[in-house]
Amino acid sequence: MTQTPAPYIALSGVRKAYRIGGEMMPIFAGLDLAIPRGDFVAVMGPSGSGKSTLLNMLAGIDRPDAGTLSIGTSRLDQMGEAARSAWRAHNMGIVFQFYNLLPMLTAAENVELPLLLKPLSRKERRMRVEKVLDLVGLSGREKQYPAMMSGGQQQRIGIARAIVSDPGLLLCDEPTGDLDRKSADEVLDMLRFLNRELEKTIVMVTHDPQAALYARRTLHLDKGDFVEEKRAA
Amino acid sequence: MTLFDLARKNAWRKPLRTVLLMVSIAVAFLIYGLTASFLAGTQGAAGASDDLLGVTSAGGRTQPLPMAAMSRIAADPGVAAVGYVTRLRGFVDVEKNVVAISAADPDLLMAVNGKGLGLTPALVGAIGQGRDRVLVGRALAEAQGWSVGQRATITAFDTPREDGSRDWRFEIAGIFEGESAATDTYFMIARYDYVNAARARGKDTVDAFVVLPRMGVSPGELAAGIDTLFANSATPTRTQSEKQFLEAFLRQYADVGLIVNLVVGAAFVTLLMIVVNTMVFAVRERTFEIGVLKTLGFSRLGIMALILGETLFVFAVGGGIGLALAKLATILAGPTLGLVFSAPVLAKALVIIAVLGLATGALPAFNAMRTPIIKAFRTR
Repeated sequence: MTQTPAPYIALSGVRKAYRIGGEMMPIFAGLDLAIPRGDFVAVMGPSGSGKSTLLNMLAGIDRPDAGTLSIGTSRLDQMGEAARSAWRAHNMGIVFQFYNLLPMLTAAENVELPLLLKPLSRKERRMRVEKVLDLVGLSGREKQYPAMMSGGQQQRIGIARAIVSDPGLLLCDEPTGDLDRKSADEVLDMLRFLNRELEKTIVMVTHDPQAALYARRTLHLDKGDFVEEKRAA
Repeated sequence: MTLFDLARKNAWRKPLRTVLLMVSIAVAFLIYGLTASFLAGTQGAAGASDDLLGVTSAGGRTQPLPMAAMSRIAADPGVAAVGYVTRLRGFVDVEKNVVAISAADPDLLMAVNGKGLGLTPALVGAIGQGRDRVLVGRALAEAQGWSVGQRATITAFDTPREDGSRDWRFEIAGIFEGESAATDTYFMIARYDYVNAARARGKDTVDAFVVLPRMGVSPGELAAGIDTLFANSATPTRTQSEKQFLEAFLRQYADVGLIVNLVVGAAFVTLLMIVVNTMVFAVRERTFEIGVLKTLGFSRLGIMALILGETLFVFAVGGGIGLALAKLATILAGPTLGLVFSAPVLAKALVIIAVLGLATGALPAFNAMRTPIIKAFRTR
């Protein structure tokens, strides 16, 4: 008899509500989700369906009001803020829609930021930065500032920053939302490469059905619950 | 890149704003450096000794002491050496060009405080070659443009000669340097025997005895012992260390230290408000990015350290420039104005830089530290 491995990401009975104008507005009323290690999941849904809240909870920047949320061996719902910061630094990378690069830092310095939180020598940090910049096809642009780059290039810097500390989980918040089709496809190709070749577990929130096609499966969220799941052919 | 590089780059995001902040900090520390150097230097208190005792009349410095008291002081077993001094105040050419003369026995002065004043056997020998010869302190010589061999006339304010004249003519026999830059050298040393013989009144009296305690003898206890010795005499004494004496002397006119501290304190409080206000706005502008850094895993303490590092950097650069300018000013004008940029002045300034750097960064750092990531992301 084979034993089913525990999911890498597991949400069980997660409840979340926000107070808006004096009233509690429920977002999730008992959400369940299981994502195995190495999966690439696209989360789609209309505005207000809870996509961002889900991503914020997976990133440890928001906590469920009730229920359990575990990633790997960590129970994020039980962690305090300091522990969640440390967890983020070592276990997760995040790719933002608008890249969110620091404008006064060069491409290499932006990528190096998460490594400042690790006990690495300057040389080790530089080697890792060079490696990931090469991986995202931006070797030779180390000293360029974000303002000198196209949107696609900035997003690739954002991806390099997200993976430079070699996290197991990559969270992507509309990673192609600010890009033209060609740049979007390049970024999505890269995410697929990271998933298939480097075995990163990826959760990507998107409105773009084309982007969702790059994922192994797509979950549709509506009114705080998953209503549909599609697996890639 | 290091965390400090990140803080430094944050500080330079708006170069004009940062430069203006640094200029205001530099000006405040220039003021501080100059005023502290003034206190340490011109007042001479920094270079004055805690061990050397001055015995004056308990009735005030205008009341002289009889020369006969010297043998009683010298008889105290705790006394290593005794000298005496009578002070004349006068002017050169114009009344505002004030000069002080200490009339003393050069050999005794050498024994009591030769090291502190920078007296040498050659200088003492030179003044001994003529009754009207004087030794001039370096600061006074430079201020008056005097050199060895030159003759100088001092018109005394209140010490007339027997012939009714108030003009005292001296030949400059040498220039003494003082032990260190902090030593007051804005005066001249004349021979007591010459001044005493020529003055119209107050003969055989002195303004003060200068006492050097023996090794191992507490200056405080010796001072009390001397005052007890004369407590029931016609001329009770008040014995203080040279430092206490100088500080008390200056307080006759004004508590310069208090005035300077109030001025500098006001400058620093104003600076504190300006920098805090600027930094609060600067950090508020970056709330979104602070959210990004937190998302990348920067802890609350890490964010706080970044902002404190930024304000410390601004203060270190601005304060460093101000202190360097103050040091330059003391080098260029120090001997004339009596400015001494001493190690304690520098050490105190560095502590103030650190304290103000942390104090001005505390409020914006605390705000940034407490801002939840989700709230930070809503600011874009």
